[in-house]
Amino acid sequence: MAQFKYSNMEKEMEVYGYDTVIKSHCRMCHGGCGVLIYLKNGRIEKIAGDPDCPINHGTLCSKGIGSTQLAYHPDRLTYPVRRVGAKGSGKWERISWDDALETIAEKVLHYRDTFGAESIVPGYGTGRENEAVIYRFANLLGTPNVLTAGHFCYGPRISTTIITCGTNPIVDYENNPKCIMVWGNNVVISNPDCYKGEPFSQALDKGAKLIAIDPRLTRIAARADIWLPLRPGTDTALAFGMLNVIIEEQLYDKDFVENHVYGWEPFVERVNEYPLERVEKITWVPKEKIQKAARLFATTKPAAIQWGVAIEQQVNCADNNRILLALMGITGNIDAKGGQVLFKTPKINNVGRFGAHAMLPREQAEKRLGGERFRLGGNFAIINPKCVWDAILEEKPYPVKMLFLISSNPLMTRGNANEVYRALKAVEFMAVSDFFITPTAELADIVLPAATWLEMDYIADFWKRHGYIFPRRKAVQIGECRSDHEMLNDLGHRVGQGEYWWDTFEGGLDYILEPMGIKWRDFKKMDYLRGEVVYQKYKEKGFSTPTGKFELSSTLLEKWGYDPLPQFREPPEGPISTPELYEEYPYILITGRRIPGFFHSENRQLPWMRELHREPVVEIHPDTAEKEGIGEGDWVIIESPRGKVRQRAKFFEGMDQRIVSAEHAWWFPEKKDPGHGWKESNINILTSNAYEHCDPAMGATHVRTLLCKISPET
Amino acid sequence: MKSYALIIDNESCWGCRTCEVACKQEISSPEGVQLIKVLEDGPRIIDGKPEFTFRVNVCQHCDEPACVDVCPEEAIFKRDDNVVILDGEKCIGCELCIDACPYDAIAFDSEKGMAQKCNLCFHRVDNGLNPACADNVCPGHCIYFGDPDIIKREIAEKQARRAKEPSKGRSFII
Repeated sequence: MAQFKYSNMEKEMEVYGYDTVIKSHCRMCHGGCGVLIYLKNGRIEKIAGDPDCPINHGTLCSKGIGSTQLAYHPDRLTYPVRRVGAKGSGKWERISWDDALETIAEKVLHYRDTFGAESIVPGYGTGRENEAVIYRFANLLGTPNVLTAGHFCYGPRISTTIITCGTNPIVDYENNPKCIMVWGNNVVISNPDCYKGEPFSQALDKGAKLIAIDPRLTRIAARADIWLPLRPGTDTALAFGMLNVIIEEQLYDKDFVENHVYGWEPFVERVNEYPLERVEKITWVPKEKIQKAARLFATTKPAAIQWGVAIEQQVNCADNNRILLALMGITGNIDAKGGQVLFKTPKINNVGRFGAHAMLPREQAEKRLGGERFRLGGNFAIINPKCVWDAILEEKPYPVKMLFLISSNPLMTRGNANEVYRALKAVEFMAVSDFFITPTAELADIVLPAATWLEMDYIADFWKRHGYIFPRRKAVQIGECRSDHEMLNDLGHRVGQGEYWWDTFEGGLDYILEPMGIKWRDFKKMDYLRGEVVYQKYKEKGFSTPTGKFELSSTLLEKWGYDPLPQFREPPEGPISTPELYEEYPYILITGRRIPGFFHSENRQLPWMRELHREPVVEIHPDTAEKEGIGEGDWVIIESPRGKVRQRAKFFEGMDQRIVSAEHAWWFPEKKDPGHGWKESNINILTSNAYEHCDPAMGATHVRTLLCKISPET
Repeated sequence: MKSYALIIDNESCWGCRTCEVACKQEISSPEGVQLIKVLEDGPRIIDGKPEFTFRVNVCQHCDEPACVDVCPEEAIFKRDDNVVILDGEKCIGCELCIDACPYDAIAFDSEKGMAQKCNLCFHRVDNGLNPACADNVCPGHCIYFGDPDIIKREIAEKQARRAKEPSKGRSFII
């Protein structure tokens, strides 16, 4: 760009007459992108990427730019409200913050004293980086039950990586992996936890080889050197196939295996149970292609696996993660420069310490819902949502009386939406903190107006594993909106936790930074802090696991009563596991492909985002559509044994004709009735949350692969 | 006189559509009026090989712009630096340019009753700034602005590094 300087801050201010520019860090998705917020007379006029940020290098995504429309949206809730009609009647009255928090505090104390702290369930969704304060509040209160997406999103990555190698290995894009295997991920659209699409793009432009594992032909798959379009839900088997090739052809890193791995022999025996012929049959992927991909991945150094949440929202959740870790490990790419690095976070009071997990009394921790059933999840303070719905609806094993959902819309985003609705309708008291009165919030008793990332000071990314922390700086105040951190800091005082909170939440930020000897007022003048980067730390210190080794066979899972080795389970519904059902529901439905502009159930009300994608779309192979009498653009009824919804048909040739691909989390804020169309196109009406369909160790709900039939709407 | 080029390396486009929103933020065009738009090409299977690309559609600032010729009000004109500008003040909303454009790159703004197209952010360019879509917003780094010779060299180098078959995505050049 020769004569032009990108994002020329001084010039922008001069040309447009902005009076202020604030450097901050976005949180419209998983966060971390550096941004420049331009203001005039106290109002945000423009958002641009910060070229100095090591995460996004000045680029942004549609959501980041669209943040202004979120902050100033006319429908935004800007003061606390109390419901005055029946649940779901949409009748609200304005109340003061004092009233709202006093009411919530009274309910908290009442339920704690009457039914035990475990009857109160705070929760969050994908989060607004509020996870640390919510866990802190819960642990200090004494409830072991925090309802999050963690059972099937990021939580599995954290728990499986910790038990295998001590922490989450992050792709070292900065040092140019020479081969990237993208597994169930559209990183350039979803920008998943700890990653952005931009460094991935740069690595490809520098010549990295690309392998794509995806049932759908994404643009990543189309650009790939090898694309393996597997049968949905058979990821573990496919990885076994690759391992088979790598072990048989001795393409693994012998020094690493000999000196740093635990459980090699039983692991090899397990791998031998999956010969390529068997894997081909399970996965629909020809064995020659599996061989080719395995050889490319194992012989190109450094190599890395860019994995996505799709592999976690399945019955094989934990084992999918573990088997991909095995691929990274035995090829010698763990903690290797340009491979996947166990980055060190700066010396801070980290998310676990801030979350005050050590403060939860042992007898309360033992009451964690589902803690005995899903012991991997339970040991990481993560619960399966159905356990909460059951405790509300059947009071088993004890009653849950209060929900406090902070940035969460489970009616749209958890399995078996009809059951979620019954539970939210039935719970005695529910408070919600959010930007809008969502379909979930419509069932609340009190709704608090949450601040967006533009309206708060915070230490961005301090929970992540990429080794950076960034200052998020408050740019504006909108109405009476408060950050969840300030809100819980206040509520903490009102329920007797005062000694563990601060006068204002700035004290909490100072606490996070304390081990570095700096305060928020110092940090907010900085661009970022990064932990020391050291490779192959295991050579001196071993891995932070019980054996000190990279655990291919997990001693912790064994201790908790599970198979210590990864194994492949057929998806609970499918041509193999339920052939009779497959006759009636003859298509494999995959759900939740990522759409630019949206973040799960968010952003449908932002005009710039909605213009990108107006309606829920179901992708159908043209041959299948013809067979079912469905035309391009028709409304289609998608039906599973649990219900039916409608989405708009789009012909898509880039997948097997036995597969149908639907979008998730659709509601319609423009529909002004209190339901906002939550049932119309919500794919979770179709999904199952039955315990036997969940990952047995993690408790991940299997929402990504099920059976369906399709027909044109009449 | 210097001439400017906006060149899209479609092969690098992921379809994230950040450029569309960057344009919205800059121009505030009403809903439905998209001056830059990411189109899908495929997926399809060609000779057993899967193909799926995105194609960024935007005014080409043509050498001989059909829209300039058909406009009865002389509301569209080409500057010496090759930027083709549609002057909304002069536009009467006859829509002849929309029909004439071979790239489907002109939209009708029914709120204002006039045509709209990419004016290459001349209000920015004339002040030494990049067009909004080309100001390093693109996470795929596929939108280039500046001296056409330098850009073409940069894209060729990038393609060589990828060491793959020749570009399948068409690169548009002003």
